This record gives sequence, C-alpha cells and structure tokens, in this order.
Amino acid sequence: MSEPIIKVEHLNKQFIVDKQPMEILRDINLEIQEGEFITIVGHSGCGKSTLLKIICGLVDYEDGVVERNGHKVVGPGPKCGMVFQDHRLLPWLKIKDNVGFGLKDLPKNERDAKVKEHLKMVGLEGFENSYPSQLSGGMSQRAAIARGLANNPTVLLLDEPFGALDALTRIQMQKEILRIQKEQGTTMVMVTHDIDEAIVLGNRIVVMSARPGEIKDIITVYSAARKRNSTDFTLVKKKIYDYLFEDSDEEFEVEYSI
Amino acid sequence: MGKKAINIALGFIPLVVITVLWWYANTFTTMSQAVLPKIGDVVKTFVETFKNGQMQEDLIASFDSVIKGYLIAAVVGITIGSLMGIVKPVKAILQPTITCIRQIPMIAWMPLIILWCGIGQLSKVVLIVVASTFPILVNTQNGIETIPSSYVEVAKLYKLSVFETFFRVYLPHALQGILVGLKLGLSVSWMAVVGAELIASTTGIGYRMSMARTLMQSTVLLSCIVVVGFVGILMDKLLGLLFAQLTPWEKVKSSK
Repeated sequence: MSEPIIKVEHLNKQFIVDKQPMEILRDINLEIQEGEFITIVGHSGCGKSTLLKIICGLVDYEDGVVERNGHKVVGPGPKCGMVFQDHRLLPWLKIKDNVGFGLKDLPKNERDAKVKEHLKMVGLEGFENSYPSQLSGGMSQRAAIARGLANNPTVLLLDEPFGALDALTRIQMQKEILRIQKEQGTTMVMVTHDIDEAIVLGNRIVVMSARPGEIKDIITVYSAARKRNSTDFTLVKKKIYDYLFEDSDEEFEVEYSI
Repeated sequence: MGKKAINIALGFIPLVVITVLWWYANTFTTMSQAVLPKIGDVVKTFVETFKNGQMQEDLIASFDSVIKGYLIAAVVGITIGSLMGIVKPVKAILQPTITCIRQIPMIAWMPLIILWCGIGQLSKVVLIVVASTFPILVNTQNGIETIPSSYVEVAKLYKLSVFETFFRVYLPHALQGILVGLKLGLSVSWMAVVGAELIASTTGIGYRMSMARTLMQSTVLLSCIVVVGFVGILMDKLLGLLFAQLTPWEKVKSSK
C-alpha cells in the first residue's frame, strides 16, 4: 500500500462545556488511501463532524497525529475541500461567484473557465447568474459541491451533505457524487447518519460509537453489496445496525425504523 | 400592477382628509386667517417663493449642510460600527458611552454647539453628525454581529485574510442593516438641519420658518412645513431605490 493521503493516529479531542471537559473523540486511528470513498456513520453528537473538521483544519486538536498528504494538519488548505450540511453558499453572491469563491488568485478568464467546468459537472449550467435563494435545496447542494471541487482538491470532505434533502433528491445526489468521484478520482470522506447512504457510497465504512466517539469497526464494502436490493447490502446494513444499537432496547429500534 | 396602484392611491387618503378638514375650518369656523390661512393662499405663497427663487435658495443651503454632515456621519458610523461588531475590546470600551449619549435628545445639544461653533453652517453640520451617526452606527454594528458563524467558517476554509473576510463576508452580510441605518440617518439629518436652522442660523428652510414666525407669515410657515415633509419622503424613496440596486439578491428573495 502506498502512503495514505489522510492519516489519523491516536487522536483524542475534548471540548470545554460549562467549564467541564467533555470527551468528544477517543483514540481515533484511520488511514485513508488516495481515491477511496470513506463514509463515517454514527449517532448524532458522536463527534463525526468534529473529526471531519479536524481533518480539514477548521478545528484544532491537541492530542494525536493528523496528517494530510504526509504533512501535519495546521489549518485549512486548498488541497482539501469541504461541503457542509447547510450548503453555506453566500446569499449575496451569484452562483458563479460562490463556486469561484476559493479561486480569487486565478486570473478572471481561468476562473470563469473553472467555474463553468464545475457547474457543468454538477448539472447547473445556465444558473451562473442566479442567487442561492433562487435555487432548490438539491441545486444549492450541487453548487456547494461545485465550490468544494473548484480548486481541484485531492480530498473532499462532506459533512452530511444530503441530510437536508428529500429522499428522492438524496438518491439522485448519491448517484451524482459517485459519478463525480469516478470522473475526478478525488478522495472523498463523507459523514452521514443514513446507513443506506454509507453502504451505497463507501468503499469502507467507519462505524463510530456514541459520545465519546470511538471507531467500532471499519467495514470494507465490496461492489456486490452496494446494490440496495442485494443480500450482501442487507447483511452489511444489519452489521452496522447491530453496532449502532447493540445496547439498546426495542424502543430504539422502533424509533429507527420510522 | 393594479394592486400596486390601489395601494399608492390608498396612501393619499389621509392627505385628502387633512385637506378637507382644513378647508372646512377655513370656510365654516371663525378661526383667524393669521392662525390658519386659506389653502389657496398657502399654495400661492408656495408658488411665489419658488418663482422668486427663495425656496430653492433655502433648500440648497439646507441640503449643503445635510450632505456634509450626513457623509461624515456615514463614514464615522459605518467605521466605528464595524469595528465594534468585530473587535470585542472596541465594543467593550465604546458601548456604554455610546448607549448613554444616544439617550440625549438631539436638540439638547444645540446650546452647547452654538457656544462652541457659533451661529452658522458649522453648527448645523455638527448637529447633523451628532444626531445621525448613531442610527448608522448601531445598525452597522448589528448587521456585523448577526453574521452566522457558518459564513465565517467558509471564510476560514478558504483562508481569507482579515481584510478579505471583512470585505467579502462581513460587509456584504451587514449591508442590509447598514442601508437601514443610512436611511434612518438621512431622515434624522433632515430633521436635525431644520431644527438647527430654527434655532441658530441665517440660512436654510428652517431659518425661513423662524423668520416667518417672527413676521407672522403663517402662509410661509405652512408651505415650508409641507416642503420639509415632501423633501423628506422624496429623499427616503430615492435612497430606497438606490439601495435596491446595491442589494440585488434581496430583491430576488422577496420576489420569490
């Protein structure tokens, strides 16, 4: 195996809440190879978003090693894009300016070309001059993905990007992100609480426990299991399900199946 | 379109009611014409003062002070408001004093300003600055402070410098609030200049009113009041149109 593009070793993270330290992440170890699609599933509040922000450099860490491309993470960098659950397009910028937000150092014609290319990739041609408020949720998220990819990052981190979308749009977007990943070869790490989504998209699935977040297992998904109606899919789903709800009672199961 | 026209027409109802009441008082009561002149006489005076150029001269004198004072207030208000919104120590230092000064009615400054700046344009400009800086400052500060942390995180993600973060993220977000402040500030400026001219001035429309009171020219007084009101609403509308051009994304939002 070659050198991993992302390496996390013995990472611990605490937040201070009401002057009390609260353990968020405990002994996280994770190596991600170039071109992989990693999905991270876990209960809300288990620290999976925090882990993503630490990898991105938006949140500091004190204890452990976090490396991107072999270098210690000290802050955000152009080689690492991020897409959030709320699209975070800036409402005062047209879609083309939002997508080109991180390309300020490029000359105008190059920037325009890049923006155009990425809008085409996400299927938003013709919306260059619209404002975010004129776009639907799914379209906004497409624009956010275009922004995340516009400066050709080697890694794209996705923090529940489809969490706020309706079920049909979500499936559509899952297909698109797989297509984009195939075309671009970008390494992607996606946090989700949708087990189906995790299986359909991930080459490997990182299953995390409730707070403090620990990695319970990393499940490798073979292509046969990535079809929603296959037996393998159901088996992987059951495995993850059991990890996430191993010490809960019937009530929890009912809540989940709704 | 039809609905809009109806709404504009509805806005004229109070004006019509006031005119009818005025006409009624003129025609069916014994109220002295020195106290309440006839509508026709006021209109006549209004046309006369326009024809002989006196009204324009007065208005220009007042506008001159408003523009100077308002521009200073806008620069000071937006700058200090932005600093207070972003740099917490600046807020800690200035907030109590500013909140205190804001409680003082603008006209209460007038004696002191006359004492320090005399009777002339300087006094007017100073009063305008004192009166209109605060609405601009407070609204700017509020606009900056209400920025969602998620936008700031986007700026951090793309490694924007402090200046870039301010001009590309904070300022556009605060723009709506700043424009509200600027609109309020302009109307306060207009009130302040008329107020200042009534008390201490030798030019301007407020001075004209003060003169008219001394000379018992109630027609001049009333025509000036109407002009002050209309100029106020005109400035407000013009500024509103200008600002709508500056924030096209707000227009799209409201039309959705």
